[in-house]
Amino acid sequence: MPRTVTIGLNVNGIRHELNVEPRWLLVDVIREVLGLTGTHIGCEHGVCGTCTVLLNGETARSCLTLAVSVDGAEIFTVEGLNRGGELHPLQEAFREAQGLQCGFCTPGMLMLAHELLRENPKPSEQEIRESIAANLCRCTGYQGIVEAVSLAAERAATATTGTRS
Amino acid sequence: MKPPRFQYFAPRTVDEACSLLASQGDGAKILAGGQSLIPLLNFRLAHPEALIDINRITGLDYIRDADGGLAIGALTRQHTVERSELVRTRVPILAEACRFIGHVPIRHRGTIGGNLAHADPASELPAVMVALEAQLGLSSTKGSRALPADRFFVAPLTTSLQTGEMLTEIRLPALPTRTGGAFVEMARRAGDFALVGVAALITLDGSGRCQRARLALCGVGPTPIRASAAEEALVGQAPSGAALDEAAIRAAAATSPPSDIHGSAAFRTKLARHFTRQAIALAAQRAGGR
Amino acid sequence: MATTERQWIGKDIPRLEDPKLLAGRATYTDDVKLPGMLHAAVLRSPHPHARIKRIDTSQARALPGVFAVVTGEDAKELTNPLPAFCAEPVVQYALAVDKVRFVGEAVAAVAAVDRYTAEDAAALIEVEYEPLPVLTDPFEAMKPEAPKLHDPLPSNLAFEKTLSFGDVAGDFATADHVIRRKLRWHRASAQPLETAGALCRFDPLSQKMDVWSNTNMINFVGWLIAGTLKVPASKLNLYPMYVGGSFGSKHVLGKVIGIAAMLAKRSGRPVKFMEDRVDNLLASENLACDRYYDAELAVTKDGIFKSIRVRVVDDYGAYFQFGHGTHGNALAQVTGPYGMGSFEYTVQCVLTNKCQQGVFRGAGSDAANFCLERLVDAAAQTLGIDPIEIRRRNFIRPDRFPFKTPCGNIYDSGNYPAVLDKALDMAGYAELRRMQAEARRQGRYVGIGLATAQQRSVYGPTEFWFWYDAPGLTSVPESVGLSLGPTGEFIVTMFSPFWGNSPETVVAQTVAEEFGINPSQVTVTYEDSQHGLPGAGPGGSRMTVMLTGAVVGASRKLKDKLARIAAHQFEAAPEDITFADGRATVRGVPDKSLSYGDLGLKAYWFKLDLPQGMESGLEARHTYDHPYLTKPSADRKDLGAFYPMMGHGAHIPVVEVEPATGQVRFLRYIAVHDVGTIVNPKSLRGQITGGITQGVGMALYEQSAYDAQGQPLTGSFMDYLLPTALEVPAFEVGHVETPSPFTEYGVKGGGEGGRMIAPAAIASAVEDALAPLGIRVDEVPLTPERIVSLVEAARAS
Repeated sequence: MPRTVTIGLNVNGIRHELNVEPRWLLVDVIREVLGLTGTHIGCEHGVCGTCTVLLNGETARSCLTLAVSVDGAEIFTVEGLNRGGELHPLQEAFREAQGLQCGFCTPGMLMLAHELLRENPKPSEQEIRESIAANLCRCTGYQGIVEAVSLAAERAATATTGTRS
Repeated sequence: MKPPRFQYFAPRTVDEACSLLASQGDGAKILAGGQSLIPLLNFRLAHPEALIDINRITGLDYIRDADGGLAIGALTRQHTVERSELVRTRVPILAEACRFIGHVPIRHRGTIGGNLAHADPASELPAVMVALEAQLGLSSTKGSRALPADRFFVAPLTTSLQTGEMLTEIRLPALPTRTGGAFVEMARRAGDFALVGVAALITLDGSGRCQRARLALCGVGPTPIRASAAEEALVGQAPSGAALDEAAIRAAAATSPPSDIHGSAAFRTKLARHFTRQAIALAAQRAGGR
Repeated sequence: MATTERQWIGKDIPRLEDPKLLAGRATYTDDVKLPGMLHAAVLRSPHPHARIKRIDTSQARALPGVFAVVTGEDAKELTNPLPAFCAEPVVQYALAVDKVRFVGEAVAAVAAVDRYTAEDAAALIEVEYEPLPVLTDPFEAMKPEAPKLHDPLPSNLAFEKTLSFGDVAGDFATADHVIRRKLRWHRASAQPLETAGALCRFDPLSQKMDVWSNTNMINFVGWLIAGTLKVPASKLNLYPMYVGGSFGSKHVLGKVIGIAAMLAKRSGRPVKFMEDRVDNLLASENLACDRYYDAELAVTKDGIFKSIRVRVVDDYGAYFQFGHGTHGNALAQVTGPYGMGSFEYTVQCVLTNKCQQGVFRGAGSDAANFCLERLVDAAAQTLGIDPIEIRRRNFIRPDRFPFKTPCGNIYDSGNYPAVLDKALDMAGYAELRRMQAEARRQGRYVGIGLATAQQRSVYGPTEFWFWYDAPGLTSVPESVGLSLGPTGEFIVTMFSPFWGNSPETVVAQTVAEEFGINPSQVTVTYEDSQHGLPGAGPGGSRMTVMLTGAVVGASRKLKDKLARIAAHQFEAAPEDITFADGRATVRGVPDKSLSYGDLGLKAYWFKLDLPQGMESGLEARHTYDHPYLTKPSADRKDLGAFYPMMGHGAHIPVVEVEPATGQVRFLRYIAVHDVGTIVNPKSLRGQITGGITQGVGMALYEQSAYDAQGQPLTGSFMDYLLPTALEVPAFEVGHVETPSPFTEYGVKGGGEGGRMIAPAAIASAVEDALAPLGIRVDEVPLTPERIVSLVEAARAS
């Protein structure tokens, strides 16, 4: 049996054809093969969520995913959020509310927040906490992150309606 | 912590998967959602010679009516089960229990079948299946068979699946009218493995007495514990007061919990009693509300 | 308290660090790739104490993709022992030499084409061990007859000393009550989300070793690391990385750097060793103190604290990297915010077969606060005095600062009554007690905790050595470079890495304040150690003070030069030049003004416009030394000022405890901190909420545990429990600002206070919740099982 297999992954809108060992974790393929180091490794147990990406539109822990198993999938990472010199509104909200300190958990948290606001545009504080409880942060005590997601939700609501409430 | 090397197969049908399971023998493991298996691989606690990835198999992901109950394909993601309107209306205890499994990103990938086949003694779904008296559909190259849930879980991380067999379907019988269900759990943190979990299904008669009770606990034994003696204490009684106390005591007595850093066996036994009370009371309250 | 109108210090500006962190574009250690780079994996000991008889690496070497395998034999040849901040001959190498002393100790390491292959190879290494007796109980281990972990030491009691200040015997003899408590503070672990790591590249021709690592002190202990790596200090270059959290756990990182360096030397290629989470949990430098306290507080019948006597046994694990530094740390504030006249401190540092202690946020003062505040609560209970009132009676009054503690440390400033008042006001304390009374009537166990405690900042290095008779290091500087280019743009160069604090933002705000520009006009860079100026790096809550001090110093130098250039141009006196709104202007003469761009261009390109003898260019470097550090007296009756920037905080957690299950839930959490002048309010608040969350972890969830056979019980994130967003409430944070008289802008450090105060406060809250049952809380973490045991014991008696 050959050591590597060829798979296709669509990452942040770009299609890649890659040779991977079946045992390679998706997070390692993203980081080492594709050079997208914004997704981080925190534990490889599936507990800390630092490796969170969107897999076919849903948050998933890329340290618990074999790249071969998701051949053909659409992957979205933090690098897909901003374009050029502009931060995504979600990133802007994190910046304003200081929802980060060391930044290591931040890409994973952004993925969670991105999905949450897509599913639930007006989350309560409890709902935000339930969502981000999936990931660990050791720096912020979560408060800045909760406020950032709230702020992002508020801004998105204003932008959609075009009015200020 | 990186997985050791294994041979990788990605069958496209159940038959192909079962053939591979048979030919690879005990050195093979099925990869479904991976949320339980891949941590074991990362820790190098598991060294399968072959990994049989069943994620390419279509037709194993469904939730359908089955004689008033439900038939759920083994590859159905836990998040899908949790959000299913059919599950929420017919077997709400299952949706409730799913919400205790880790966190949403885990449930996006984890499957109902994978969770059951992994048979972690602290897992919620095995206890729920035992309480629901689920029938588990197993397939092999030789055909299919159904096994009641309480014969599926044999020992920690061990099921009755024979070499060459895989879990393909979960069948849940229709629940009697005036049945309330509740799943309660205590874990150290939100999303952690249960120290104790209790699945309770209480059916009330017209006068508010318990007509039928099904109780199963997780985290307090090598497999889910069906607390039959506790159930007997409830039948014919109002599920409160002395009957409730007795049921809780009997459920705790039926446990043989592990001891670890999160709780000694003695502590878990106390918790079993406390949460059995809570589960029964909540289930009964919900039964009354129907 | 005078308020100074400032433009930028004290304002919430978005952090300079954030855009690249948010975009996932910051370079952390594991993000660095070099051509030909190999990856390392480490084989660790399964035995807590054993002689290494034989290691067979032949199969590992033969595996395709493996380039080097090293063991303790290589460590002895290629390296010297790791730097240690202790005087005792406790020798540690990056790989175990001759014997292993804890489960998880590194025994061999492999460099291979990828981490997967390196781990495959590590699994092929065969090690033959001869088990030795295991010591896990420090009280057993300290006995003279116990088997020794380190042969050169007389016993496993590595260090023992009593320091006494003031008339302790007299104060205890004349006290009306002696309150005694035995307390247990279990070992926790810093566990930043980014593990420790190093990428080493070695050039054998020049002996140059390049190191990319998330180590903190690149311009302070770099030369010691060079000694460990057996390369000339001038040939070691450490690159500052973005660090994913440290909390004290990444000060030196001799082990990871040593392993990567050895493999780089042997393989001839760059080698990266990133700890995985199991490596970090088992064998890093992140474990905190593991203490058994037997402490007494001497009080009068009116509740006045006269003296404290602390006896503490600290289980250090197998090595003594930071010596008893965490006890020197505790001495900075062992008498707390209270005006006691004397104290005695007896410490016994014991070595056992567990991973070594490192430092973790709080660094020993967290445990000291817990000890003191538990005694204070016990005094209040014994004397029947309200816990708030007893603290008020003992607070050092605002007019007594700078205050000298019995051991000679200075508290620079403080207003403890104001902090307490604010906390009580924010809490709505009277209403909370009413709510509690109602809850108790309903059979619920609601508790209101209180801790009023110190949070020292800006450590002095004397705390490591004033326990000995011989002197030691007295420098702990921080430097910056500041340049103004020909376009008027400012660049600040820093010499210590970012680890989640906000150093770039702090320096930008300070430059902006000094020069009257916008912080967004400041560019911040980092410099590696070969080009470095002295800097001890983040830790001990020092960076805000040290960076503002360094920037002010550099700004003064730069402004001096700018003033002379402008004065020369305008035939004015340099002292008449003011700096505001992006310009240098002659005071009172607005049209005699030059923009920074004008000045920059002049300094770079127009030499003949400059005063006679002035060099071209506009750059200033400043090394800021500790602003108030004094030497201990020879007889050690006065330890000098070693941690004088003394902050303070009052925490009021409100909890509900379920006695049947031991679960604790936060209803509210009020925290008021006074850390002098605040530079960036949101940034400080983040440090506080993050610190309190780690304190919640310490109080309720985190314990780095070993069984009696020395096997680790918390070797994964399933077992070592970090709080998630659902374990902590929204914190209500308030501030009081009592500026320091010794620092620029009156700033103090506030990075550690949350974790230093919260465990004491939460223990108080749980004890208050279970007060109807007569429970005493003497141990953290308060796991559900421990709480249920306390409840049952109380009910039984």
